[in-house]
Amino acid sequence: MRMGMVIDLHRCVGCHTCSVACKVANNVPKETWWNRVLTDGGEAIDTLGGEYPNASIKFFPVSCQHCENPACVKVCPVGATYKDPATGIVRQDYDKCIGCRMCMAACPYTGVRSFNWEEPQNYLDHNLGDADAPEHQKHVVEKCTFCYQRQARGEEPACMELCMARARFWGDLDDPESDVFKLVHSRESITLLPEKGTKPSVYYLV
Amino acid sequence: MTENVAAATAASAPSRSASYARAGGKGLTIGIVIAAAVTVVGIALWVMQLSGGLVQTGMRNLDSWGLYITGFMFFVGLSAGGLIISSVPKAFGVSGFGGISKVAVMTSIACTVAAIAFVVIDLGQPLRVWELFSSSNFSSPLMWDIIVLFVYLILSVVYLWAQIRADSGAVSTKALRVVSVMALVCAVMVHSVTAWVFSLQIAHEFWYTALLGPWFVVSALVCGTALVMIAAAALRAAGYLQLDEKYLVKMAKLLGVFICVDLYFFGCDLLTSGFPAGEGAAVVDMLVSGPLSTFFWAQIVLSVVTAVVCFVPGLRTTPLLIVASACAIVAIFLKRVQILVGGFQLPNLDLAGPLTSLTITNWNGTMASAYSGMVYFPTSIEFGIALGVIGLGFLIFLLGLKLLPLKPAE
Repeated sequence: MRMGMVIDLHRCVGCHTCSVACKVANNVPKETWWNRVLTDGGEAIDTLGGEYPNASIKFFPVSCQHCENPACVKVCPVGATYKDPATGIVRQDYDKCIGCRMCMAACPYTGVRSFNWEEPQNYLDHNLGDADAPEHQKHVVEKCTFCYQRQARGEEPACMELCMARARFWGDLDDPESDVFKLVHSRESITLLPEKGTKPSVYYLV
Repeated sequence: MTENVAAATAASAPSRSASYARAGGKGLTIGIVIAAAVTVVGIALWVMQLSGGLVQTGMRNLDSWGLYITGFMFFVGLSAGGLIISSVPKAFGVSGFGGISKVAVMTSIACTVAAIAFVVIDLGQPLRVWELFSSSNFSSPLMWDIIVLFVYLILSVVYLWAQIRADSGAVSTKALRVVSVMALVCAVMVHSVTAWVFSLQIAHEFWYTALLGPWFVVSALVCGTALVMIAAAALRAAGYLQLDEKYLVKMAKLLGVFICVDLYFFGCDLLTSGFPAGEGAAVVDMLVSGPLSTFFWAQIVLSVVTAVVCFVPGLRTTPLLIVASACAIVAIFLKRVQILVGGFQLPNLDLAGPLTSLTITNWNGTMASAYSGMVYFPTSIEFGIALGVIGLGFLIFLLGLKLLPLKPAE
């Protein structure tokens, strides 16, 4: 089994709802984003590139790519970041992480891993989101888990559910009956930085 | 680093003849007290960093390593020279560099401890280091580095002990030679493995090159030899040991060769990066005319100065050789800065995203403005803690001078 995600870039409107859904479901600390919608356009987020009438904008929702050949897993000296054998999901064990940030240096996908540089801060005076989302810890590395806690309950990742354009698809990339398998095999798709040989489990329909 | 030695030199000058007899004089004690004080301040700042969070440093998610890992690379390199200067003559049975063998190994030990300390202060969870032993992942270059660093430290200590015992005839020349060969192999490994921590990362264009291993070995030879030259000259001036000028000149010639090989490797790497005019061209631009150009050109100028002093016979006076050694050490440090910051200076995904105070050091703008200057610069607490580690290195070296019989055997 290789759980993966397919994102239709023709449908993504750059509303950032998936980013917020991720933050809420996983109680992601202040100033940290596991799931970001990047703008392929101007210099600043959500701005157009080029000039009227030739201006353009595209959006790339980017989080951990849950690679089949993950650079981070190989380099972690204590095995705190590891690939779940059952699902192919790349996970992070907060209790084991020694905070050396070797995985952040090894991951080619700029910015998908984040470090809690200070005591994690909530927006409200209590936790948000899933009760079974792991508690955040100071001085450890964390990232998108494909909402492991939700998938263990048979649910989809939080970013899937609230995507108003229905741009995201989720399932087993090894299962010929799954939506993701059919989409990857019927439509033109790309992965990010294929030259790095990491074989991401996130595909973008272009 | 020269300051403390200089202080020790100045203070012990009046009692020079007396200090021949004793292991160091008042100056050495003052040096030890200063080094200990700096170490204690560093430890206090480190505790502050741990309680208040690494947010006090200049490091952020997109530039997640900084001065500490630079210091780690640098001190692993510095530790080389002493051991190699000391072990090569013994391993190959050729004439050595006078009586500085044991002092040279002492510099290695002090620098290796400092290098390990630089990794420890960078860790977010130093109290979890036991995880390294209980759930080791042997595919990690960082794990290899930790293993080889500890073996290196232990071997250096054993090697020093064997030399001291050999002076009193308790260890045979043959046994000493075996230990020196092992130490030499381990020294080469420790620099290669440190290079691999970076050069096996396909994520960073600047790091991912097979040349980095040999290059680290050469850089280590450069700054290690320079450090031994400074230490030997300072100890001679302080009256701790006697050293014929010809040995200093011999080391200077080696230093000249090493620094030229280092520059040659840099040239090879830049040419290979830049020639296809692909992604690697960005690396060349960044170094030659981009945000790191000051560090790049300063390194080139200092390296050339070192080479000129080392190769022109008329310039090989003791003061100029000290200047050349200092230039070489600074040049290699500047190179370490380029390697570390340069790795983070070129993002693979440079599309605009949400920037927060934890994303990148200069986050008050766009991605483009964050990368327009140096992507990372240390904060004062980082300088303070790094200084504390350097103090620790001095403390160990000076305590070694005071407590161990490191003077050449009569």
